[in-house]
Amino acid sequence: MSLVVSAAIRRGGFELDLDLDVPAGEVLGVLGPNGSGKSTLLRAVAGLTPAHRGEIRLDDRVLDRVDDRRFVPPEQRPIGVVFQDDLLFDHLDALDNVAFGLRARGIGRRAARGAARSWLDRVGLAELANRRPVELSGGQRQRVALARALVVEPRVLLLDEPLAALDVATRRDIRRELRRQLAAFDGIRLLVTHDPLDAYALADRVAIIEEGRLVQLGAIEEIAAHPRSRYVAELVGTNLVEGTIRDSVMSTPTGAELAVVSDLSGSALAVVRPQSVTISRQEAASSARNVFHGVVHEIERYDGRARLSIDGPLPLIAEITLGALDAMALRPGDAVHASVKATDITTFEL
Amino acid sequence: MTSAVPETPTARRPDPDRPRLPWPVLALALIAVAFFVLPVIGLLWRVPWTDVADVLGRPAVGEALWLSVRTSTAAALASLVLGVPLAWLLARIEFRGRSAMRALVTLAMVLPPVVAGVALLYAFGRRGVFGQYLDEWFGITLPFSTPGVVLAQLFVSMPFLVVTVESALRQTDLRVEDAARTLGATRWYVFTRVTLPAIRPGLVAGVVLAWARALGEFGATITFAGNFPGRTQTLPLATYLALETDPDEALVIALLLMGGSFAVLVGLRDRWLDATRGVAR
Repeated sequence: MSLVVSAAIRRGGFELDLDLDVPAGEVLGVLGPNGSGKSTLLRAVAGLTPAHRGEIRLDDRVLDRVDDRRFVPPEQRPIGVVFQDDLLFDHLDALDNVAFGLRARGIGRRAARGAARSWLDRVGLAELANRRPVELSGGQRQRVALARALVVEPRVLLLDEPLAALDVATRRDIRRELRRQLAAFDGIRLLVTHDPLDAYALADRVAIIEEGRLVQLGAIEEIAAHPRSRYVAELVGTNLVEGTIRDSVMSTPTGAELAVVSDLSGSALAVVRPQSVTISRQEAASSARNVFHGVVHEIERYDGRARLSIDGPLPLIAEITLGALDAMALRPGDAVHASVKATDITTFEL
Repeated sequence: MTSAVPETPTARRPDPDRPRLPWPVLALALIAVAFFVLPVIGLLWRVPWTDVADVLGRPAVGEALWLSVRTSTAAALASLVLGVPLAWLLARIEFRGRSAMRALVTLAMVLPPVVAGVALLYAFGRRGVFGQYLDEWFGITLPFSTPGVVLAQLFVSMPFLVVTVESALRQTDLRVEDAARTLGATRWYVFTRVTLPAIRPGLVAGVVLAWARALGEFGATITFAGNFPGRTQTLPLATYLALETDPDEALVIALLLMGGSFAVLVGLRDRWLDATRGVAR
C-alpha cells in the first residue's frame, strides 16, 4: 500500500509542486518552515484543497486527478487528520467528539459511543468522556483529536503539526503518545512539522520542503550528515544522539558515553550543535568533559565554514571555520579529537 | 503635633473590577437610559390597574392576542427556515451581487413598514404582479387574510434574523467544518451537526429578535392585510384603534405587548447568550 502524490496544489497565490511516494511501512515526516506548503500538502491529500495539476493516488485508487476531472470528496477518503489546533467540536463532549466520525457514517449512537469509549480508553482519557473540550487541557484535547481520527479506522493518518500548539511539558507527553499510536497504526502515516526534533522522534524518513518544493528526502540522520543546502543544514544539520541517561551520563547504543547536564533519567535525545563541537589534532587539555577520538570521514564547505563528519564511537558533525580547517590542514582519513562541553548539550526525554 | 509634610490629596483608588467611564460618556449614557425609561414610566403611570383583568377578559382583546401570538410565531419560524440559508449564502459564498443582496436585506429592515406594505400589495395583491397569478392559478388571496399578516411580518422581521445569523456564521472557524469532512461527514451533515450547533446563540438571538419585531409589526400589516378583527387585527392594530375609542383598553394592550416582549427578550438572552459567552472566555 502506498500514497502517491504527484501534483501541484495552489492555495492563495502559493503553489506547492512535488512528487512523493509514501509507503505503508514507515512514518514520513514532512519538514519545512512555516509557509513552505506543508499544510497545503495535507489539505490536498485529505481532499480539502483540490490539486491544480497532476494526481493523488492511494494504491490504484485515484483520489484526485486533474486530467480526467476525478475527485473523491474528503468524506469518502479513508483518511484521518489530526490538526494543529485539535479543532474539536465545542458543543459535543469528548465521547461524542470521538463518536462523530462513526455517527456521520450512519452507525447507531450506542455502537458509535461504545467504540468511542474504547478509543478514549486507549488514549488514557476514559474518565473524561463527558467533559466538553473547554473543560480539557491542551494535551487532553489533542488526545481526543487523535482518538477521533483513529476511531473510523482510516488507511492514511495525517498529522498536521500535532505538537505545535502545546507547552513544553505537554508536548513531551503527547509526543510519546503519538509515538505509541503511530507504531500501532498499520496504514500510511504522514507527519507535518516545522520542528526537526519531532521529526526525529516520530518519523522514519523525512521530506524537506522549501517554498513549495521538495528539497531533500531521506533518513533524518542521513540528511543531517549530508544536507544538500545551507538551508537544510540549518534546519536539520545538528547532531541528534539517542541513548539512555543515568546520573547525567548518556550511554549510546554504539557504546559511547556522553556527559550531559540534565535531570532526566531513561531514554532520551541529546542535541549537539555542530558549532559547539571543537576539533583538534592532539588531545588538548580543556574543560570539555566529552572528548571523542575519531576519524574525519568527509569535509563539506559552505560559505566560509566547513562541516566535518567524524566517525568514531560517537559519530559527530562539527562545523569549523575554513581558517581553522586550513590551519590544521585536515583531510579525510585524519585522526582527530572532537570535544563538546556538557553545558552545550540539550537533552529531551523520549 | 503638626506634621511637617503637607498632606497631599490622593486620587480615589481605582477599583479593578469596575472600570470608570469618563464623565461626559457617563452623562450621555444616563440621558439615553432616561430616554427609554421615561416612556415606560409614562405608560405604567396611566395604566388603569383596577381594570386590567376586565380588559384582558374582553373577547376582542383575547382574539387579537391569540392572533398576534400565532402570526408572530409563524413569522419567526418562517424567518428561521428561510433566513438561515440566506444568511449562510451571504456569509459563505462569494458571488456577484452579494453586496446588493445584503443591502436589500438591510433595506427591508430600515424601510418604513407602510412602504413595505404598499410594495407587498403591488407584488402579492389580487391585482399585483405576482398576486394575480396566485389568485388565478391556485385561488390564493394573500391580502386581507391571516397568511397576509404573516407575510407582512415576515418581510420586516426576517432581516433581523439574517443579519444576526450571518454575523454569527462569519465568526465560526471553517477549519472545524473541514475537520468534520475528513471524519466522513457530508456537507449536509456538517451543516446540521457542526455549523448550526456552533452558531446556536446567534440563532436564538435571531429568532427572538425576529419574533419580537413581528409581534410589534404595525405599518406593513395594516397596509397589506388590513384591520379585520379575528382575522388580521393583531395587538398593535388593536392598540391603535382602541386609542380612539377606549384609551384605557389601549393602555392595557400596550402593557401586555411591552411586558410580553420584555420577558421573552430578557429570559432568552440570559439563558442562551450569556451562558455561551461565559464558556467562550
